[in-house]
Amino acid sequence: MIDLAAAGSAIAMLAGNPQAWIWMIPGLVIGLVFGALPGISGSMALALVLPATLYMDFLPAIIFLTSVFTGAGFGGSVPAVLMGIPGTSAAVATTFDGYPMSRQGRHNEALGAALIASCIGVMLSYAVLFVLVQPLAEVVLRMGPFEMAAIGIWGLVLLGSIGSSSLAKGLFAAAIGVLFGTVGMNTAGYIRGDMGVSWLLDGVPTIPAMVGLLAASQLFALVNTRFIVANEEDRKISLPRILAGGASVLRRPVTVLRGALIGAGIGAVPGVGASIANLISYGEARRSDPEPESFGQGNVKGVMAAEAANSSSEGGSMATMLALGIPGGGATAILLAAFAMHNVIGGPRFMDENRDVVYAIIMSNFAQAVLLVVVGTAFVFVASSVVRMPLRYLIPCVLVISTMGAFAIEGSHAGPLTLCVFAVLGWLMARNGYPVAAIVVGLLLGKLIETEMLRAWQMAGGEWGEFLNHPAALVIGALMAVSLIWSAWRDWRRARARRVAASAAS
Amino acid sequence: MLKNKTGVSRRLLLGAAGAATLAAPATLRAQAYPSRPISLLVPFATGGYNDRLARAFAPFLSRQLGQPVTVVNRPGGGGMLGHTFALQQPMDGYTLMITSAGPYIPLTILTRNARFAVEDFWMVNLPSRDSTLMATSRDKPFQSVTDVLDALKRDPRSLVVGVQPASADLVNLTLLFRAHDIDVSRVRTVTYDGGGPARNATAGGVIDVGFVGGEGFLPLADRIRPLLTFSDERAEGFPDTPTIMEHAQQAGFQGEYLDGSQRGLVIPTRLKDEQPAIYARILEATEAATKDPECVSTLQGQQLATRWYGPEASNRAYLEGASLMQRFADILRGGA
Repeated sequence: MIDLAAAGSAIAMLAGNPQAWIWMIPGLVIGLVFGALPGISGSMALALVLPATLYMDFLPAIIFLTSVFTGAGFGGSVPAVLMGIPGTSAAVATTFDGYPMSRQGRHNEALGAALIASCIGVMLSYAVLFVLVQPLAEVVLRMGPFEMAAIGIWGLVLLGSIGSSSLAKGLFAAAIGVLFGTVGMNTAGYIRGDMGVSWLLDGVPTIPAMVGLLAASQLFALVNTRFIVANEEDRKISLPRILAGGASVLRRPVTVLRGALIGAGIGAVPGVGASIANLISYGEARRSDPEPESFGQGNVKGVMAAEAANSSSEGGSMATMLALGIPGGGATAILLAAFAMHNVIGGPRFMDENRDVVYAIIMSNFAQAVLLVVVGTAFVFVASSVVRMPLRYLIPCVLVISTMGAFAIEGSHAGPLTLCVFAVLGWLMARNGYPVAAIVVGLLLGKLIETEMLRAWQMAGGEWGEFLNHPAALVIGALMAVSLIWSAWRDWRRARARRVAASAAS
Repeated sequence: MLKNKTGVSRRLLLGAAGAATLAAPATLRAQAYPSRPISLLVPFATGGYNDRLARAFAPFLSRQLGQPVTVVNRPGGGGMLGHTFALQQPMDGYTLMITSAGPYIPLTILTRNARFAVEDFWMVNLPSRDSTLMATSRDKPFQSVTDVLDALKRDPRSLVVGVQPASADLVNLTLLFRAHDIDVSRVRTVTYDGGGPARNATAGGVIDVGFVGGEGFLPLADRIRPLLTFSDERAEGFPDTPTIMEHAQQAGFQGEYLDGSQRGLVIPTRLKDEQPAIYARILEATEAATKDPECVSTLQGQQLATRWYGPEASNRAYLEGASLMQRFADILRGGA
């Protein structure tokens, strides 16, 4: 499946072209900065730098853009870890354990682990792409509504009651999120819950709502605190500790590998992408861990799983784009536009005729992942100084930047308004002990599940038995059931062992 | 506050200057047009056909107008938000649009109670005309439109078709099935909220037959088998695919169809009526840019349409499409 001659000429192409290299670091830095600003997504960063690539050659232009893409993939995690506010919707699950780690003064380790997990995620996903670009794209194209609905439900089952001590409160919050996710026009053209407001036709603006919910619940909880990290000793920014955090990733190969594979697979599905991959990978890591209750309390494995998946979905989405010419999301749509600006049409023909260029893009992404270790460490080092900033300055700044980001992403007042409404909701929920994270999970997954289940129902023509004709969906469903039963059995056994131990002790 | 020597405040001066501008005859202002950058509004997301067309066309329009032309995306509500926004801008010629006027303007009026009328928009030039394409995956056994129709006649539930709700494609599907006495309500119809997902599902064989705009299928042409074009002439990209008119003649019924997307440069009608001089400048610049040989070759290289039809033909096509949609409003409003 690897065309060695093309791989050779790809190496020659990269080696003989300094232009292909000089844009990598600026691209990574631009991506990191934009990704880190709450509300400003990687695709917006790409759209902003797109005109600059008109004056470059094709290969340097694409390398520059994929560098921005790679940088933004990690940039979103920095505020997620430091402040509990994801910079992009792909970093929601990173907040679950990253932010508790920061509050405990382990921000250095958390960021180091996030960075290295991201770099490994990028590298693994492009390695998958290098070997399997065509078959991966084929599989993805055949994914129908039954399979997609099964994936969405899996995510909701894993994460539905996240971050809550009470199952009822968790389910209630997740249900509210799912309901918000159904506002607007559904895939069959029916409009619900828009209250006559025309900008709600396309649904509640997800990113402003998410930032509002998380920012309000995290920041208002800090009102009487002076710093994010309570202990002054721990407020240090320490390179050795960042590196130690990174090194800890290498000791958990299974967590990272599983995250990267989930990311590459789910990221490749058009229209799903990094945010869903990020949630599902986190949920899987939590479910399969011997101590699931340690997740959400600052378990570094949660950060690794979440970050490996959102970074590796970049490679996955590149597979669909390169092999089929289909944009999986905003970022790859802009990459395709960049192709078009250089009079290159992405798709199967481009793959066949320019295999060397495709390999050069993939190889350059390996180099980007390595460079990201260096550039990212420097960026993390600088960005960590927010833990030393008194919160009375930090909170207003973050709120202003989030509001501006919400305006930028929607291009109208709909963004800031959504942010404010959901901030109030988030504050109310957090105050009364409802898990805000579960609303966000419901919001992100609700739309996907509703759309795909509706299509599955249409495809079945209303007959329940139809799902038996979709073996892939059955396999996903069976895996889900087995893993849940296994977890339940394990919990039950552990509980019984504890009871036995307790009664023996007494 | 800063005061100048005569004691007149800056605000007063500015106000006076503004009043003078307003009081000046329209022709005087038109000579100055354009004196600042122009926004080219796209009411759809980045990466779609309109966005690509706008970004490719902008530099050539800018060359003609002598001012930068920047593309601004304002997606949402099937173009409704962007179209409403364009009508709310000052009628000074600094906001132009590249959009799928047909079918989205009449469609949002008919199905989403948009608060504008078909006549509120004036077509400067609509070079891109897309038609519904009926297609199947290469892996499916159907070789022609008759294969599909025969299967559906035997059992309307035997196949799964995919379409966008409330679209020209849905009208064309309904008209074709009605002509063959196939009960549309019994056919298993899967709805997609966008052309891209519907095309992916067709190419991947997730659905048996898809009815979607044909131009977007070009990058996937190797994976699909085109069956029927809903137009009176064969599509450029699919020259071997019969048209609905040819099919209707063979099958012995009166062929009817609805045009797909009609895309190009659009302005508010009020701008044309209130500022004839500015309109003349826009018209002239658009024509010159469209005919610029460099523009033609650039756009063709990106598989984007470049023909000059002019306002007369463009508005006729647009209004015809709108009145046909009015006729089929019941199908469009029926949802899926």
